[in-house]
Amino acid sequence: MSIPAVEVKNLTKVFRTGLYKDYVVAVDNLSFEVKAGEVYGLIGPNGSGKSTTMKVVLGLMAASQGEAKVFGLDSGDIRARHEIGFLPENPYFYKHLTGTETLKFYGKLCGIRGKELKDRIAELLEMVDLENAAKRRLGGYSKGMLQRIGLAQALIQRPRLVILDEPTAGVDPMGSRQIRDLILKLRDDGVTVFLCSHLLEQVQEVCDKVGIIFKGRMRREGPLEELISIEDQTAMTLEHASPELLKSISELVEKDGKARLVETGRPRTTLERLFISIATQKHKASKDE
Amino acid sequence: MKFLLKKIPRFVLVLVALMIFGLIRAPFEERVRDEMIEAKLLLPPPAQDTIENLSQSALMATLGGLRSLAALYLSLGAFEHFSNKDWDELRNSYLIITSMEPRDETHWVSVVWHLGINAAANMEIDRNLPMFERKRRFNEYVTEAVALAEKGIAQIPDSAAIRVQLAEVYREKLKDPCATAQTYKDMVGLPGAPGYAIRFYGYFLADCPGKEQEAYDHLMSLYQVEKHRKKGTLPIKIRELEEKLKIPQSERIPPDPRSRRTPSENGKTVLPGGIELR
Amino acid sequence: MSKESAEKEERIAPADRKVPLFSLGRAWIIARGTVTQLIRMKTLYFLLAFALIIVAFGNFSLGGTAAKELSTIKRACFGAMDSFAWMFAIISTALLIPRDQEDRTLYTILSKPVRRMEYLVGKLIGVLVVIGVFLALMFVVTSMILIARQSSFIGDELSAMDQNSRMSQEQRIAQIEFIQRQGFRFELGISAIASFLKAAVIASVTILLSTFASSSLFTIVISLLVFLIGHFHSLANSFYKYHSGDNIIVQMLLKLVKILIPDFQLYAFSEGIVMGGAVIYPLVWQMGLITVGYLVVFLMLSALIFVDKEF
Repeated sequence: MSIPAVEVKNLTKVFRTGLYKDYVVAVDNLSFEVKAGEVYGLIGPNGSGKSTTMKVVLGLMAASQGEAKVFGLDSGDIRARHEIGFLPENPYFYKHLTGTETLKFYGKLCGIRGKELKDRIAELLEMVDLENAAKRRLGGYSKGMLQRIGLAQALIQRPRLVILDEPTAGVDPMGSRQIRDLILKLRDDGVTVFLCSHLLEQVQEVCDKVGIIFKGRMRREGPLEELISIEDQTAMTLEHASPELLKSISELVEKDGKARLVETGRPRTTLERLFISIATQKHKASKDE
Repeated sequence: MKFLLKKIPRFVLVLVALMIFGLIRAPFEERVRDEMIEAKLLLPPPAQDTIENLSQSALMATLGGLRSLAALYLSLGAFEHFSNKDWDELRNSYLIITSMEPRDETHWVSVVWHLGINAAANMEIDRNLPMFERKRRFNEYVTEAVALAEKGIAQIPDSAAIRVQLAEVYREKLKDPCATAQTYKDMVGLPGAPGYAIRFYGYFLADCPGKEQEAYDHLMSLYQVEKHRKKGTLPIKIRELEEKLKIPQSERIPPDPRSRRTPSENGKTVLPGGIELR
Repeated sequence: MSKESAEKEERIAPADRKVPLFSLGRAWIIARGTVTQLIRMKTLYFLLAFALIIVAFGNFSLGGTAAKELSTIKRACFGAMDSFAWMFAIISTALLIPRDQEDRTLYTILSKPVRRMEYLVGKLIGVLVVIGVFLALMFVVTSMILIARQSSFIGDELSAMDQNSRMSQEQRIAQIEFIQRQGFRFELGISAIASFLKAAVIASVTILLSTFASSSLFTIVISLLVFLIGHFHSLANSFYKYHSGDNIIVQMLLKLVKILIPDFQLYAFSEGIVMGGAVIYPLVWQMGLITVGYLVVFLMLSALIFVDKEF
């Protein structure tokens, strides 16, 4: 069995709010594991303890009790940082630096130099589709662009684990689509992704495993399919089905006696998907012109 | 160690560490401070009465960096007062300036010059004031100039520039040859003292009642030195003294070939710098 | 490779990447980032304003004699340099760290293999490099102005003395030497160095405060307060000496302030040099040593707070 990318055991984090006795339990005896190579989504409403858990895993905060490990190393151990790439929520990097300079700065901090760094920067800029904005200062980047340069920054030292805090917060649908595609690409490349989000639908699209956290406690956890499938129901989507066919299916169900037709109708696209398809068509049309 | 770090609040540790560091550095810093005061790179701490009388502006003076700027600002203000002939305001400004930068001799020189020469001269000619008031104020400014010069000399004991200015006040305004001579004598040998000080001491001593013989001896000793002998005033003053002291002809210095042009003809002696002596 | 050995390698891999206790290289990367940040924050305008002020001062006719004017120009320029150095040290240091925290840039930096001490040292070096370069440039500008004014003053004085045929050679030399004493000397560079040392100490104090504080404003205000109190040491000292029989609590308090807060008044030797005082190099070295002591202690204490700080 390989070492888990993230291992959180009985983690409790208490914050003092007053001078002595007032305190808030942000994370309460939380345990979970992120296997190497999977995309794990920790979901929950704002203030549920997601970010605190993430900060403990990153070593930015110490646990009050319990432990957090990254590839078997204590999260406070600086060696663990070589394995982690982190993209905070709404990242603000140094606005005075250009995209390339930002990546160079973080690359150097990770000990990458010379041609290796230059090649890695070019590779990442291409990957996050920011080649054309590479020489622009981050002050002029949109939120989506900032998120993408942030992702590139997180990946600069080829970490085995990428931690993303609300990766698509505040980003338009096109931008969040790009980020989701990048996450899926990372999974294909064997990188473990641990993300926090309150945007459930987005988590649903990319995560292999999901943990639902509420008031600092893990409420449900498991593979996405298991969590969202309704065990005693089956969905069927037909194309070009005639009314006669639909009628005969209904009759078959009625004959069965045990089964029950719960719902029929036209599946709807989401507003988001609609927006993306329109935007993509417009983009293509303007390119053709 | 880890136990200590866990149990004791960090800010307490920081305070304790700062105190230990403070106790270690204090004697070292004291020694460096004393050496710097001795080397005249730092001002000595102000005396008790000064502390008690410190005005807000003077408190500012202890601020490094700002001190020079504050003094400069006040100096500019003082120049404004000079232009407007606000002599009292000017004096008040300089009292602060000199307390801020007591080691800067230019401030002392300026205040002595302003009060002792400019303010005094203004009192001689200011027709807006009655004669009696002018005389009173003349005396007030000149006396203050002398007092400030002495205060400055106490701060910078080897300042020749303050003494040059003081001598000018004695010479031009108080017409006191004895005090003038003494001031020139005091500056001889000080760094930056004018080379003529040693001769001027003799010239003015010659006019100080009862000191003629002393002046003659001094000037004669200078006369033996080639570089002094070339000064036109030296033989003139010696000849005056020879007359006064009735020195035998055989002991007198040779007559001046340019004697027809000696200042004694018009009753005035001209000193270097075009200063006329009556 | 068997599955078992692959697993073993995976287990060893992260531990194998040794991270030294302190890497000057990484601190330098942070420092360079800080320098770029400060320069792109348009701080160069500061320098431009300073140059303009100096040129204006240099061309003012302030009245008084040549020597007085030179002395005034010199004091104004070096006073401005000193003020620039400590103000810049406090403001830039107080802005940088809390800003990194507010902008969450700190998260991304500290989630890389960077030790917190390296981050603090890097920030301090960055600020000091900018102050050092600015002071050096200001010194060059000031020197140029002083030299130019000095030669024009001497020229004027010589021609005035030529017109006055009674001035002896000796008197001329005395006058020129007097003017020169108020003008440019290489030792003035030591005055600029003293300003730099003082700025370095207050910057390290500001770093310590910013590890406690949560806002830039708080850090700036408290740093200024420390700076002010640090200048009243000698005053407090003599007060203490004169009033030794008085209130013991006041005495204790003064003593406490003296050992807790750096003595910034010591750095006023920069003014002594500007006023014409002779530079005593052993004393300058000792002041350098004291400054290094301050920097090391304040950085260590900052690290003590910052290492466990939670973001």
